[in-house]
Amino acid sequence: MGGYGDVKLLNDDGTRLDGRKVDEMRSVEIKAGILPNADGSAWVKHGLNVAICAVYGPVEAHPRKIQRQDRAVIDVRYNMAPFSTSDRIRPGYNRRSREISKVTAEALESVVLVERFPRSKISVEIEILAAEAGTRCAGITAASVALADAGIPMRDLIVGVASGKIEDTVVLDLDKAEDNYGQADLPVGILPTTGDLAFLQMDGDLSPDEFNLCMEYNQKAAKEIHEVMIKALKEKYEEGA
Amino acid sequence: MVELVPQLLRQELADLAAMGKRRDGRSQWESRHIELEVDCLYNADGSAKVTWGDTIVYAGVKFEIRQPWPDRPSEGSLMCGAELRPIAGKKYEPGPPSPESIELGRVVDRGIRESGCIDLGSLCVIPGESVYGVMVDIHVVSDSGNIFDASALAAIAALRTTIVPASKFDTGEDHPLKITKTPIMCSFTRVGGRFVMDANADEELGGDERIHITLGDDGHLHSLQKGLKGVFSPAEFAEILEVSQNQCDVLRKMVESAGGN
Repeated sequence: MGGYGDVKLLNDDGTRLDGRKVDEMRSVEIKAGILPNADGSAWVKHGLNVAICAVYGPVEAHPRKIQRQDRAVIDVRYNMAPFSTSDRIRPGYNRRSREISKVTAEALESVVLVERFPRSKISVEIEILAAEAGTRCAGITAASVALADAGIPMRDLIVGVASGKIEDTVVLDLDKAEDNYGQADLPVGILPTTGDLAFLQMDGDLSPDEFNLCMEYNQKAAKEIHEVMIKALKEKYEEGA
Repeated sequence: MVELVPQLLRQELADLAAMGKRRDGRSQWESRHIELEVDCLYNADGSAKVTWGDTIVYAGVKFEIRQPWPDRPSEGSLMCGAELRPIAGKKYEPGPPSPESIELGRVVDRGIRESGCIDLGSLCVIPGESVYGVMVDIHVVSDSGNIFDASALAAIAALRTTIVPASKFDTGEDHPLKITKTPIMCSFTRVGGRFVMDANADEELGGDERIHITLGDDGHLHSLQKGLKGVFSPAEFAEILEVSQNQCDVLRKMVESAGGN
C-alpha cells in the first residue's frame, strides 16, 4: 500500500491494465486432493497466485498444554516460499506470516465443528508458491477446500476474496501493481451460504460508501469462487468412485 | 486446562445480554473512563500513557539513523511494535513475541501508517544514504481488556508529542515531528451474542470475536481487523461502523486537546 499516485492503473476506457473491468475478478482454478500424504489437500490458482494447502488430522494434540478439553485446536502455518516473489524472501516465519497464520486459524475455527474433536489438533499447512497480491485470500480458499477434502465437518466453506481502491475507483480483486500502487485493500473471508464474514482485514483509505461497494463486489465474487470450490470437491470424489 | 470459568461466565454474560445489560453496568456502546497523559517518559523522544479503565499502556517513540529501503530511497520508515510482558497479567508468559503481540503491533501500525499522518518523505536525511527510522514501542503493563484501543491511542498521542532528536545524530537541530492526522481505533467484541464497545477483561474471557476499526479525521476507514473465533453479518458490521464514527470523534478530541506538535 504505497498509495503512489504517479503510476497509472486505469486505462482511458475505464478498464484495468490487465484488461479487466472494475468488478471483474481474476480467473480461479481449484483442485482438491493433490497431495497423497495429506488427509486433505487443495491447490488454488487465483490469477497468478498459487497456494497449496495440506490438512493433517485430527490427531492428538502435542504438547499437552496446547490441548483443549472441549474442542480441537487448529494450527495454521501460512508460509511464502523463498522463490514466490520477485525478490527472494528469507525463509522462515516472519511477523507478517505469523499474523496471517493467527487470523486464518481463527477464521477456520469459526466454521470447523471443533467441538467434535476434543483434545486433538488439526494442522493446516499453507504454502504460497507464487505471490502476485491476494495470497492470504488464496490461502483461506485453499484451506477450506483442504479441510472439506479431509472430511472434517464444517458449518460452511470460507471463500477468501479481496477488493480495494485504485485511482479513487473501487475495484475487485487487486493484482500486484494495483496492490503496490493502489489506495486500499480489503481482504475478507466470506461464508458463501449466509454471506457472513469470518475473516476481515483492511488497510489504506476507504470512505464508508467505498467500503460498502467493496463488500458488494466481495460478496458477488465469493459466490463465483464458491462454485469453483464445490466443483473441485465433487470432481475429486467422482474420479475416485 | 478445563475452561470451567469461561463456560459459567459465558452463560452469565448471555443472560445479561438478553436483558440488555453488561457486567459492570455500562450500556452496549459505552466505553470505560479514559485518561491520557502525554510527554511522560524522560528519555523517549515522544511518549504517552493511557489509563483505560484498569488497562494501562505506555507508548514510547525512539529514532534511529538507517539506510533507506532500496525501493524508497528518500523515505524514512515507521515501525510499530507491541510487547505483552508478564507484568500485564497472569496469562502472559516470558519468551519470544507471541502471535497476540505481533497482531497488536501490526494492527496499530497499519492504522497509523495507512492514515498517512506521518510524511515519511520528511524523514529523509540524505537520499539513498540515510533516513530516520521512527520506532513506536507499545508496552502493555496492565491488561484488563481492550488493549488494542488503548495501544492505538497511546501510539498516536505519543507521536504527536515527538521531537526528532536531530542534534543527537548530527543531522540538524531538534524539531517537532510533523503529524497531520489523528487516526483512532475503536474495537468491538461479541459478548453474550451481541457486539459491545470496549470489552473489559471478563467480557473478553467469556466473549467471542473482536473487530478493530481505525478511522481517520474524515471518517474514512484506514484499517480493519477481525480476530478470534466467530463470524458476523454485514448488517452487524454496518451498525458498529456507525457507532465507531462517534466514538472516534470523541477520542480524537481528547488526543488533540492533550497537546502536541
